[in-house]
Amino acid sequence: MAALLVLSLFVFGAQASPVVDADALMRKANDIMVTGDLEAAVKVYLQIPAPGPEGDEGQFASSRMQAARLGFAVKDFPAAIAAVDELLAVYPENIEALQFRDSVKEAMMPPWKRLMRDTVKFVPHLLKGSLMTLLLVVFTMIISPIGGLLIALGRIGNFKPVSRFCWFVIWLFRGTPLLLQLFFIYYGLPAIGIILKPIPAALIGLGLNYSAYLAEIIRSGILSIDQGQMEAAEAMGMSYWQAMRRVIIPQTYRVILPPVGNEFIALIKDTALVSTIAMVELMRTADQLFNASFNITVLGLAAVIYLLFTTVFTFTFERLEARVGAYEKR
Amino acid sequence: MQQLLELKDIVKSFGPHRAVDNVSLSLKPGEKTVIIGPSGSGKSTLLRAVNFLETIDSGSISFEGCDVGYRQIKGKLALDKPKNICKLRTQIGMVFQHFNLFPHMTVVENAMEGPVTVLGTAKEEARAIAMSMLEKVGMSSFADRFPASLSGGQKQRVAIARALSMQPKLMLFDEPTSALDPELVGEVFGTIKQLADEGMTMIIVTHNMGFAREVADQVVFMENGSFLAKGTPDEFFNQQCQDPRIQSFIDRIF
Repeated sequence: MAALLVLSLFVFGAQASPVVDADALMRKANDIMVTGDLEAAVKVYLQIPAPGPEGDEGQFASSRMQAARLGFAVKDFPAAIAAVDELLAVYPENIEALQFRDSVKEAMMPPWKRLMRDTVKFVPHLLKGSLMTLLLVVFTMIISPIGGLLIALGRIGNFKPVSRFCWFVIWLFRGTPLLLQLFFIYYGLPAIGIILKPIPAALIGLGLNYSAYLAEIIRSGILSIDQGQMEAAEAMGMSYWQAMRRVIIPQTYRVILPPVGNEFIALIKDTALVSTIAMVELMRTADQLFNASFNITVLGLAAVIYLLFTTVFTFTFERLEARVGAYEKR
Repeated sequence: MQQLLELKDIVKSFGPHRAVDNVSLSLKPGEKTVIIGPSGSGKSTLLRAVNFLETIDSGSISFEGCDVGYRQIKGKLALDKPKNICKLRTQIGMVFQHFNLFPHMTVVENAMEGPVTVLGTAKEEARAIAMSMLEKVGMSSFADRFPASLSGGQKQRVAIARALSMQPKLMLFDEPTSALDPELVGEVFGTIKQLADEGMTMIIVTHNMGFAREVADQVVFMENGSFLAKGTPDEFFNQQCQDPRIQSFIDRIF
């Protein structure tokens, strides 16, 4: 009877011992970790055995995760991976372990590889956003020289009401922030019953603003042409408009091209402002991706795309300048 | 014979300053008038008034016997409709002191511009006219050059061809050789002389006495906005002049 008791005690004890051990090891490891000897703590964590058929109340899983975290903390990435793999061998579906493994893998990646991965991941989205940026730039580049020319001619002309009105338009759109103009057009105009979708609102805002700036550039270009040119054109019987179209305006290209190129480069960057009126273009896309990933690479990639645009413009305008001014060379 | 151009009692003021003061002048077809006088005497203003680059305050301008260019509105002279002014200008060629060639066009394009843009001549025809005028001034071999690559004298000859390509009835020369280096005056002078010999009616404002002596049928000496003397070159240069101011001006020039 006594022997049976002893035997049963022994058997019970043998069965219960791993559970007790695990608890003790866990406490011991935690105590060592607090002292700061992380490597020693890891060793103890790793002594906690895999759970038996009845489980171990999570001690094994916690210990391996802890070992992995400590390995990660001391940048011993292979050790961290090994600990997580041990855990995954028992619990292949453990989400925490799977995600941690990804994090460690990412940390192990060389910087250039990480950059490549980010690029592949973000650039398609950014390019999609830059299509909208490009659309805004191209349309504004078509609208604003026409608007600018009309305003400039109106301002130069002798008809006072038109001249004053053009002065007013320039004064208004050059004198207020573009951001404010966009807000007025998108959020303000509905108050008087004009409701615009973001794209038309953005195009109207950018178009008016840049027309005002280009008007002054074009006006200065026209005024820079020698008075004798207009006289020679008129003396042969040309009307004012024929003289403008055939003689004066073609000569302004050479003068206005550098400042106009400057404006267009500013325009590429100013399109970022329309992200404030619910338009998804390059800046807005970058902002959204950054907020979702906290990955600064997104912003760097957006910067590269903007630089790409401005570089293409810079070179295009340099070539245009050389061609347009060719007649002055001997 | 009917007068081609008749200026009557022309007055033009700039503020209190009377640039042209009650001046009359007439030209028959083929006649050449040279206007000489010191700077600021109103010669250029008068010349520019002929093709309405300058508006006049009072007086009348008649071309081929008709009063042109102005209408009376509430007792004041007002320039006629731009359309009518443009039409008149097509018949009057003008050559400027500083050439005023269109620098963005080649030489032949400069000479084609008037016929094509103003008269609506077909391009090929205009090119033919332009080339024949360039031939006349000896510049046809420069047809495809830009003005920037030409000398002053060449530029002025192209400017003359440009004016001629409109086939005008009257040519106005506003100090055509004043902006030229002395050694380039001759070629331009030669071209104008040749035109004169072909019977072109012209008014030349100049400081160059050579024009007055060799080209003119009529020489006008102008000072302070009015004509001091009018006469044939013979009367001006060969006889003893009564007016000491003309004498002193001519002495200064020579």
